[in-house]
Amino acid sequence: MRMKLDPRTKLYMVLMVSMVVLMPAATSLLWSVRLLITLFPIILLISGKRYKSAVRFLIFYGIALVLTFFVLKKEMQGILAAVLIGYCGIVVQFAPAIITAWYCVRTTKIDEFMSAMQKMHMPDGIAISLAVVMRFFPTIKEEYGSIKDAMKMRGISFGGGNALKMVEYRMIPLLFSCVNIGDELSAAAITRGLGGNVKRTSVVELKLRLWDILLMVLFTAALGVFVYNKYFG
Amino acid sequence: MNNNKLCAKDFITIGIFTAILIVVEFLCGLLGYIHPYIVASYVVMIPLVGAIPMMLFYTKVEKFGMISLMSVLIAIIMFVLGMGYLGAPLIVAAGVIADLIAKFGKYKSFKKTILSNGVFSLWICANYFPVIVTADSYRQDLIDEGYSTEYCDNLFGAINGKTIAVLLILCFVFGCIGAVVGKKAVKKHFEKAGIV
Repeated sequence: MRMKLDPRTKLYMVLMVSMVVLMPAATSLLWSVRLLITLFPIILLISGKRYKSAVRFLIFYGIALVLTFFVLKKEMQGILAAVLIGYCGIVVQFAPAIITAWYCVRTTKIDEFMSAMQKMHMPDGIAISLAVVMRFFPTIKEEYGSIKDAMKMRGISFGGGNALKMVEYRMIPLLFSCVNIGDELSAAAITRGLGGNVKRTSVVELKLRLWDILLMVLFTAALGVFVYNKYFG
Repeated sequence: MNNNKLCAKDFITIGIFTAILIVVEFLCGLLGYIHPYIVASYVVMIPLVGAIPMMLFYTKVEKFGMISLMSVLIAIIMFVLGMGYLGAPLIVAAGVIADLIAKFGKYKSFKKTILSNGVFSLWICANYFPVIVTADSYRQDLIDEGYSTEYCDNLFGAINGKTIAVLLILCFVFGCIGAVVGKKAVKKHFEKAGIV
């Protein structure tokens, strides 16, 4: 099954999930709602043929959940336990937001995103900058991988244990490639008429389908449950 | 470019440097779950590490609005990553003030850039905001979320209404120090290579 969601739905989902992760889940009902809204982006990732990230998130989140609920106790002492509790806490708490944001970033094409932004009457500045930010996280990861390879080839791994050198060795090459990519990107963007005075048209027609509306309702309801529980429950 | 309006190239520059800054913030942020005192030390770590991209960014800033827009983007991304909306006005305020300071130096004066970077660094403190403003309920939330009580005690011992002043000053000072260090790095690597 291939499901294509409107970028606006994806952004709406990100918004809702970010609100939900701000609130704690104390009861089992809230936990199940939270699990549900975490599973949805994972399923969507699978349907978008992003198997690798889907599996990675599933394992990552699953381990953190199991550890939090069955292994770790609040009374546990020691540094290792403290670190584990901290990390599992953060993963369980923020993973839904990160998974949804990742889904949104990886499955939205930039032209779709731009045209969605245009339909929502976002100012051009925010739309373009956000689009670049979105596109850039995967690029930074890739570039960083190449830098690590290059360092390994020359036998430099930790910069001789000097923290300042460690930062410098990684940051400077990364900035170099980012600046270059930025120049190429602006050239490409200007060729496509970005920043002109006319209203841009788009090849992709955006339309809200049944799926989009269902998902929006579902995520709104999830937020509603949390809000109700926090302020009125 | 003679006119003062921002164009597509500027927006792309902003986007790139915002992405780099967020990655720096995120990596430093991961360390914070080891011990709450590290959370407090963000004010030292992030301005120093983030200064290199920031100084490179400052060399590209020529018009009013670029730094402000960057702070708006940071506020949006912080919200999406689950940091809450309480800090958002502070982040944007820091960005606009930093922008104004840099504008006074016509985006060329190095002294103004140092000050501006110091003010801009204050956005990091905005992330502490929920800890201070909604201390009691936030503490309960954290405990409900599975943080240990010990962690919370330390966290609220390190960050509260009294220490925030110190943290803000530290943040500003290290933002300024970071600017000097970052400028050196930019000079050493980028000006020689002719990128700036």
